Amino acid sequence: MALLEVEDLRVAFGAATAVDGVSFAVDEGKVVGLVGESGCGKSVTSLAIMGLLPKGKGRKARAAKSRNGKVPAQAEATGPEGTGPEGAAGDGAVPPGHGGAVAATPQGIAVGRRSNRGGADVSGRAAFDGVDLLTLPPAAMRRRRGADLAMVFQDPLSSLNPVVPVGRQITEVLERHRGLKGDKAVKEAANLLDRVGIPDPLRRLKEYPHQLSGGMRQRVLIAIAVACAPRLLIADEPTTALDVTIQAQILELLKDLVDSEGTALLMITHDLGVVAGICDEVNVLYSGRVVESAPVRDLFARPTHPYTVGLLGSIPRLDLGTHEPLTPIRGSIADVIRWKDGCAFAPRCDRVAPACVEGEPALVGAPHAHRCVMAEEIA
Amino acid sequence: MSTEPQAPEDAEPQVPDEPAPAAEPLLEVEDLEVHFPIRRGIVVERVVGHVRAVDGVGLSVDAGGTYGLVGESGCGKTTFGRAVLRLEEPTAGRVRLGGDEVTALKGERLRRFRSRMQMVFQDPLGSLNPRHNVDMLLAEPLKVHGIGSKEERRKLAVETLDAVGLPKSVMERYPHEFSGGQRQRLGIARALMLRPDLIVCDEPVSALDVSIQAQVMNLLEELQGEFGLTYLVIAHDLAVVRHLSDRVGVMYLGKLVEEADSEAIYENPRHPYTKALLSAVPQPNPEIEATRERIILKGDLPSPANPPSGCRFRTRCPWAEDVCAEVEPEWRETAAGHKVACHFDL
Repeated sequence: MALLEVEDLRVAFGAATAVDGVSFAVDEGKVVGLVGESGCGKSVTSLAIMGLLPKGKGRKARAAKSRNGKVPAQAEATGPEGTGPEGAAGDGAVPPGHGGAVAATPQGIAVGRRSNRGGADVSGRAAFDGVDLLTLPPAAMRRRRGADLAMVFQDPLSSLNPVVPVGRQITEVLERHRGLKGDKAVKEAANLLDRVGIPDPLRRLKEYPHQLSGGMRQRVLIAIAVACAPRLLIADEPTTALDVTIQAQILELLKDLVDSEGTALLMITHDLGVVAGICDEVNVLYSGRVVESAPVRDLFARPTHPYTVGLLGSIPRLDLGTHEPLTPIRGSIADVIRWKDGCAFAPRCDRVAPACVEGEPALVGAPHAHRCVMAEEIA
Repeated sequence: MSTEPQAPEDAEPQVPDEPAPAAEPLLEVEDLEVHFPIRRGIVVERVVGHVRAVDGVGLSVDAGGTYGLVGESGCGKTTFGRAVLRLEEPTAGRVRLGGDEVTALKGERLRRFRSRMQMVFQDPLGSLNPRHNVDMLLAEPLKVHGIGSKEERRKLAVETLDAVGLPKSVMERYPHEFSGGQRQRLGIARALMLRPDLIVCDEPVSALDVSIQAQVMNLLEELQGEFGLTYLVIAHDLAVVRHLSDRVGVMYLGKLVEEADSEAIYENPRHPYTKALLSAVPQPNPEIEATRERIILKGDLPSPANPPSGCRFRTRCPWAEDVCAEVEPEWRETAAGHKVACHFDL
């Protein structure tokens, strides 16, 4: 059994479905990539696993209904305070396709629409070591977050507290999860900074985030994330804000963690170069669904889904000549159709056929899976 | 907002210039310096030092060609681009565009001259006025320079929109109604409105998604042929620069460290910094990634207010020796058209 098993994860913000049934698994000591462009649902997937999304009030009803198809925007506003955290947390255990919860909640109340704004309705399963994180009560989730699973964010300046010295931000984790106090915690924090390659750690501990460079801030975030030797690390675009030479340093550091500690790493990125360098398995996301999933070498050697092919054709490469025209994907990510009406990529696809828009395409094949009805013809 | 334009004197719309025959330098920059004073003090401000953002950069760009300027954040590449256009006042040095000395122009003459050089910015949303629709956005450069009647301006705007791949129907729409890629097309269209000779593209694709990046890069190439444009492309992404440029300059801490034709610099990088940069770019090919030698540079960029003595790269250079701290390496030509600032032949 894999350390993290995500099954049929769905996240909706009101009427907008951000993640639409994503499944993947991450083994210990492995790096799994979630790749896609902005708006494909990769970051929301990671936030859902970490339990960091604001909860939607009508989560139960919403989750059940989304499986049955279209939901009017108003319908998710259900019993005002009836579904508290406990009730909401319980619904993750409802097996996919089970629609029984609908009857339990009143429908069509338009009043709560505004108050529900920003809330996310999460359903599906995200099993960490057999325990479904989506159903854990908030207190239990807090104990795990930072200790068993940790996250590195894209923008280190906004994820660190600007008015607290970085040392204090590291010792906070150590106190909370490892019970280290005072000097012991400070010493351990210095060790951590040293481990992520920050010179003169004792001095740096006293500094504030604005006094550090971008690369160093990202190292501090990684130090906080690995402070309790988490078994799963989620890195959401950890190098996107950094220069290439600093990016190389950070990627090396993450690789090292995976190799030496056996940490499982879920790598979220839009950069196929980063994917090629660090990932073992890759899931390509488009419009909230996995469209292709394969071991990294297979994916680059035999990209099957037209979207993956298009992404690879869009990248300017160092090993190709100057002025060779790229083969971009036409249109933009705004031109999508709903998955249940057919392939969401169809409006941008060059090889679209009538079969593409006749019902939902399924994810087929293993270990190299793709969601394209035309795959055989294309290959 | 949409006041009627004053009837301009010279009311003939400019026609696209014929592309000049190649290999004649259009843009020549000599020893350009831009230093920003660091001020301290509350009541009486004193200048306590200078940030040497650009510290003596010279290059020339052939007419109809593309020069790619690449470097990491803080190396001064954006400041250089802005100084070339006189959006930033150079501290020293000369800029010539088609034989005219840009750095000597003042007042009204400079303002008029600006129609020959335009800029495409990194952030398309931030650089388009949110309260102007496309018609106003595209007509504004023409109005400023007193070109054409309202109808002529509109006609030219529609033509330019067509050239960047946007339909006529977008004329009444506002920037927020467009996707990122479309906004960048608008930014390019606006730069094209005056049919300039030179366009400085500052990180033209870095804010865009991968699939859209390729569209915009192809567009820039097409337009170059169509309008006979000369580009100065400023970017941090070596693959983007390699793709667009004929000639590439690598900047580090306010200075050029290497300059060569695009092929040469990628096939045979001479400066340690260029080598490290190239080796750090992750390539979308797991076979290459698994076997490739990486040069991992230690530490961060030093402060441009207080650059290291001798060679500026020596603090991070894996090959640095004593001489590097003492003597600043000269800018020398190691092979035809291949210049490098390093003491050693690596």
